[in-house]
Amino acid sequence: MTGGRRVAITGVSGHWGSELAARLARDERVEYVAGIDTRPPARDLGDVDFIEADLRSALISRLLPQTEIDTLIHCGILWYPEPGKPARSLHDFNVIGTLQLLAACERTPTLNRVVMRGSAAIYGCEGASPLFFPEELAGEMPLRTRFQRDVSELEGYFENFARRHPNISGCMLRFQPEIGADLDAPLVRYFSLPAVPTQLGYDPRLQLLDADDATGALEAAVWSDVRGPVNIAPSGALSLSRILRMGGRPQIPIPHPLFGMAIERLGARLGAGPLVGDAVRLLRFGRGVDNRRMRHELGFEPRRDAVEAARELMRRLDGRRLGPALHPGALSKRLASSGR
Amino acid sequence: MSAEEGRPRAGVTGEDSEALTRFLREVRHGVEAGVDPVTAAGEAVGSLPSVVRDAIETTLRRLRGEYSEDKWGFDEDFAEAVFSLFRFLYDVWWRVDVTGVRNVPAHGRGLLVANHAGSLFPFDASMMTLAVMREHPLPRWPRFMVLDWAFVLPFLSVFMRRVGGVPASPHNATALLESDELVMVFPEGIKGTGKPFSERYRLQRFGRGGFVEVALRTRSPIVPVAVVGSEEIYPKVADSPALARAIGAPFLPITPTFPLLGPLGLVPLPSKWRIEFCEPIDLSAHPPEAADDRGLVFDISEQVRETIQAKVYENLVARGGAFI
Repeated sequence: MTGGRRVAITGVSGHWGSELAARLARDERVEYVAGIDTRPPARDLGDVDFIEADLRSALISRLLPQTEIDTLIHCGILWYPEPGKPARSLHDFNVIGTLQLLAACERTPTLNRVVMRGSAAIYGCEGASPLFFPEELAGEMPLRTRFQRDVSELEGYFENFARRHPNISGCMLRFQPEIGADLDAPLVRYFSLPAVPTQLGYDPRLQLLDADDATGALEAAVWSDVRGPVNIAPSGALSLSRILRMGGRPQIPIPHPLFGMAIERLGARLGAGPLVGDAVRLLRFGRGVDNRRMRHELGFEPRRDAVEAARELMRRLDGRRLGPALHPGALSKRLASSGR
Repeated sequence: MSAEEGRPRAGVTGEDSEALTRFLREVRHGVEAGVDPVTAAGEAVGSLPSVVRDAIETTLRRLRGEYSEDKWGFDEDFAEAVFSLFRFLYDVWWRVDVTGVRNVPAHGRGLLVANHAGSLFPFDASMMTLAVMREHPLPRWPRFMVLDWAFVLPFLSVFMRRVGGVPASPHNATALLESDELVMVFPEGIKGTGKPFSERYRLQRFGRGGFVEVALRTRSPIVPVAVVGSEEIYPKVADSPALARAIGAPFLPITPTFPLLGPLGLVPLPSKWRIEFCEPIDLSAHPPEAADDRGLVFDISEQVRETIQAKVYENLVARGGAFI
C-alpha cells in the first residue's frame, strides 16, 4: 500500500522500541518503518529497516532526513541500563541523544509528528504531594535524582522544539513505571525477590502500568494528533504492602537510609540488580498521576487498572519464586480453597 | 449519646466457648482421618461463632492483599479498627456532645470547615469523623487535610493516609470534592494548633481563603463546624523553637505534663467536648469563575470564620466547666 505513514523508531533494540516496531510493521496503514539503535534488535521485528547509529553523534542529522519519514517515535530515553548501555552513560544517552535527535528533526522537512517516550519522574517523589498529578503540575516538586533532572531537562528542550515548529505536532508521554512478567526491568526483578526489602515505616502508593498497556499507549500516540504532555498511567493506585501480599511475599523492613545499599547487596546475590533512576524514592513515597488526558484526548483506555496490573504481575511471578512461601498468605489461600 | 448502637461486642460467652470446643473437636477428627491440620482447620471453620469467623476472614482476606483500600490510600477496614479504639475517647474520656449533624450532606460533595486546636496532637478531625460516622443517619467517612510535615514522617504518614488523611493542598481538596467526597479542612492550620493556651478559642487568620476558592470552583456547600473542648486537651504554656528546629517540626509545644512526665505527658486531659455542625452555606449561585474574585473569596471566608467564632462562644457557654 502506498501513501501510508513513514515511521522511524529510536531505541529499537530496547523492549519498548522493538514492541512498537513489530506492531507498526504489521500495520497496513504504515508504509515504512525505520529502526534506529546502536546494535541490532535481538529478535526479528518483521519488515523493519534497521539503521545502526548512535544518537549521541551528529551523524544522525545526516541519516534521518534521508529516510523521508513523517513520524518519529523516540524510545531512546532510558530508565535503567540495557545491554551495551551501561548506567554511567545513561545521562549521555538521554540528554545528549535527545538533543542530537531534535537537531536532526529540524533538518527533516517531511516530519509532521514526534512522539517522545518520557517519564512521570518529572513530578518527583515527595511525601506531601498531589495524590494524582495533572500534566500542568510538572516542576512543582523538587527533583532529587539525576534521572528526574534529566527528564525535566529534556522536556525543556522538547518544549522549545515544539514551540519553534508549530507545523510539527509534538507529544511528550509521561509514563509511570511499567511492570510485566516478561519485562526485564529492575522493578520487576525487585518484585520477584522471595522476600522483599521495604523501607521501614513507609508504604508508598504506587501506580504501575501493565507492559501491554504501555505499548498500546505508545501506539495510540502515533495515530493521534494530541500535542503537549500526556500522563500514561493506569487508573487508581494501590499500596506496596498490598502488592506484596497479593504475591505472598514477606517484607523485610529496612531503615530507609540503608535501603539502597541493602537492595544492592541482596540484588547481587539473588540476581535482582540495584534499583536505579528514582525507584528508591518511588518505593518510599510513591507517586500518582492523573490519566484523564490520556483517556479522553489520546483516546486510550488501558485494559488493566493499577490493582489488576499488580495482581497479574504477582500471579505470573508466583511460579518463579525462589524460596518457599513464607507468608501466611499462602495458608489463607489453602484455607479458602478448602471449600468453606 | 448513642453508645449502645454499633456492632455486637466481641467477647467470649458460654455459647461461644462451646462452639470453640466443637471447632477443635472437628479439627481433631479431621487430623485423625488423615487430613493435614491446615485443611482440617479450613473445613472446621464453619462451626466457629460468627464473630470469630468474620475476624478470621477479614485477616485472611487482608493477608491475600484484598484490602478495602481506595485510590486515595484510605483503607476502610483499618479506619474502622482505629476508630473503634477512639470510641473510648469519644464516649468516656471527652463525652462528646454533637448538635446539627444533619447539616452534613448525606451524599455528594461537601466541605466541612472547622476551628483547629490541640497543640501536641490535634484530635478534632478524628472526633468529627466519629461524630459523622455515629450520629449521622447516613454515616459516611469524611476525608481530611493534613499538614505536609506529617506526610513525610515514617509510620505517621502511612497511618494518616489509611484513616482518610491527604496532604493539605487545594489540588487534593479539589480532586476529592470532584469525586463527591466529604472533606474536612482546618484553615487556621498551624496558627490554630500552635497558639498559646491563653488565646484559646480565639480563631486565627483563615490563611488566604484557599478553601473558599476550592468550594466555589467545585460548587460544594460549606458546612462550618465549631469544636469546643479541643483546646484543653494539651494546654500549651510555652514552646521550644530550638527543639522544633532540631526535629524539623513546625513547633514543639510544652504543656504542664509534656515533656515533664515523658510519655505519660502524651495522655490528653479529659475535657468536655461539644461539636456543632452549622447550617450549610450554599455557593451554587456563584459560577465557578467566581473563585478568581478576591473580594468575594475574602467575604465568604470571613463569613465562615465569624459563624464558627460565634458558635464556639455559644457552645463554650453551653458547656459550662471545662472538665466536668
